[in-house]
Amino acid sequence: MSDEEDLETKALQRQLDDAFQTTRPRRGFEDELWSKIQARRPWWHTAGAFFAAIVGGVRRVPPAPAAAVALLLVLVLGIGLLGSLGHRGGAGGAATSLSQGVQRGGQYNPVAGDFGRLPAPFLLAGSGVNDAVPPKEVSIAPRQTGANTLYFGPANLVWAGQLNVAVSTAPVYRFQAPSTDDANNFATSIGAAAQPGQADLSILGSYSSPDFTLTVAYGTRVPNREPFYFLTPTANGSAPGSTAPDIAGAYLSTHRLTPIWPSSVVVDQSGSRVQLLRQFEVAGVGPVFLVDGVGDRYGLDVHVNGNDVVQVAGPMPLSAPSAGYRIISAGQAVQSALASPPSGVDRITPTPTVMLTSAELVYALVWAGDHSFYEPAYLFSGTFSYNGTTYTKRVLVPAVDPSQLSS
Amino acid sequence: MPADRPPFEDIYREFLGRIYAYVRAQVTSSADAEDITAQVFMNAYQAYPRFETRNTTPAAWLFRIARNATLDHFRAHSRRERLQRTVEHQPMDEHDPAGMAEERIRYQALLSHVARLPERQRDAISLRHSGLSFEEVGVLMKCSEDAAKMLYHRALKVLRESVREEMA
Repeated sequence: MSDEEDLETKALQRQLDDAFQTTRPRRGFEDELWSKIQARRPWWHTAGAFFAAIVGGVRRVPPAPAAAVALLLVLVLGIGLLGSLGHRGGAGGAATSLSQGVQRGGQYNPVAGDFGRLPAPFLLAGSGVNDAVPPKEVSIAPRQTGANTLYFGPANLVWAGQLNVAVSTAPVYRFQAPSTDDANNFATSIGAAAQPGQADLSILGSYSSPDFTLTVAYGTRVPNREPFYFLTPTANGSAPGSTAPDIAGAYLSTHRLTPIWPSSVVVDQSGSRVQLLRQFEVAGVGPVFLVDGVGDRYGLDVHVNGNDVVQVAGPMPLSAPSAGYRIISAGQAVQSALASPPSGVDRITPTPTVMLTSAELVYALVWAGDHSFYEPAYLFSGTFSYNGTTYTKRVLVPAVDPSQLSS
Repeated sequence: MPADRPPFEDIYREFLGRIYAYVRAQVTSSADAEDITAQVFMNAYQAYPRFETRNTTPAAWLFRIARNATLDHFRAHSRRERLQRTVEHQPMDEHDPAGMAEERIRYQALLSHVARLPERQRDAISLRHSGLSFEEVGVLMKCSEDAAKMLYHRALKVLRESVREEMA
């Protein structure tokens, strides 16, 4: 085989890898099928519905629990734990480039743009970690998130809010796709060892300890998610505390999984899902939330049942150096939002008029092959009614100056 | 549930995408891929109580079920019917840019080349790029690891030629 043919073959293999990795069922299929499978469960299995509801409530959120839930956790744990594999573990975790840049007041080069031109962040309906079961047989494709039904289709947008952003630069973070060694190091740092006989190349690694099993998975472009892990206690899942956040915090600390990045802790209505919503500190602005592919905040998830932690899912800790980028003004962001094309294929006829009434600076993950970015963006939001249902329309506008974007 | 066996939902969530991709590379329509994928996990769910992690990995176990379900699908549908479906397969509406983008993302064109390969070659490519080792591919295809490698590389060569021809 000639060198050229060899190269061609390798390129083809790479394309095949990508093709198989990115070919996924349509939005909603996963949950639809899971519902069908659940419907086939013998009646006596429903006795465990309580537990299932706890875990299911958590997992329902992600299109793939491993992916979704894990994603959330990964983010939380992530960037700090492994950190250039300088993972220290525990609350004191690795002082990664990310933590230095973000948590210590944004000590980044303000306008350098060291990473060159960046791919632009965008909303992609169905790509978020917080996928819920979509209603069946609807002519449009709304997405339920909590009490809201999200709409990503065409709309006539009107700005009716206030957006004040007093800074002209913000950090962008970049991390390399982790290797198997990185995953192994992470697992070792929390006391887990590789499971023997593993031959699953679709994940970075599968591990176990006397107390838990751990899976570390690759990041994916669709849905957009970081390399993530999910940890399932097999014994000693209990942790001290009188509230779910206390229990979650104690478990994370004991297992050296406490994220070092800033976060805001929230608990869902059932009281069983504790989310550490990840934030990025932007000098002059304060903590800024990370949002997923549908604009929902996310981070690390801990699922609690009584005093037991039943699952932890979050981003794999990775080193993420930062670089400062010039960002557009609030006025420019509004103009861009109003001119934004729809991000989804949903369609309501006639085209609704939506008053965008709120906007905030956020961070979004942008996948770029063997590396990814956390980039600042403006998230606009507004609601409208259609056939008695209230919909939320979200628009994500890249905050990085267009001259620094590759698309 | 045995301690070494994760909840079925974990398996389901972890492998659904890969199984779908594997099946999708075999058939001409996403509707067929969904039907087969659904059958795979229905079968897997029923068989899960008998699944032994000591004997096989979840990946090998699920791909065996997927492979059988795909073969069943082909047996149930005549070649003529499948060709007819291919002919009737409608391309994505050009006025649906988001859909077209998704289509591109999914590498439909490349997978359609894979779908046109002879059965065993198609299987070798699909299983291998679904993340299975050559040893696992060999077990599933009832041949040795070396034979699986040879089959895979032969399939890759045919696929390369097929892609080349289209680009020419």
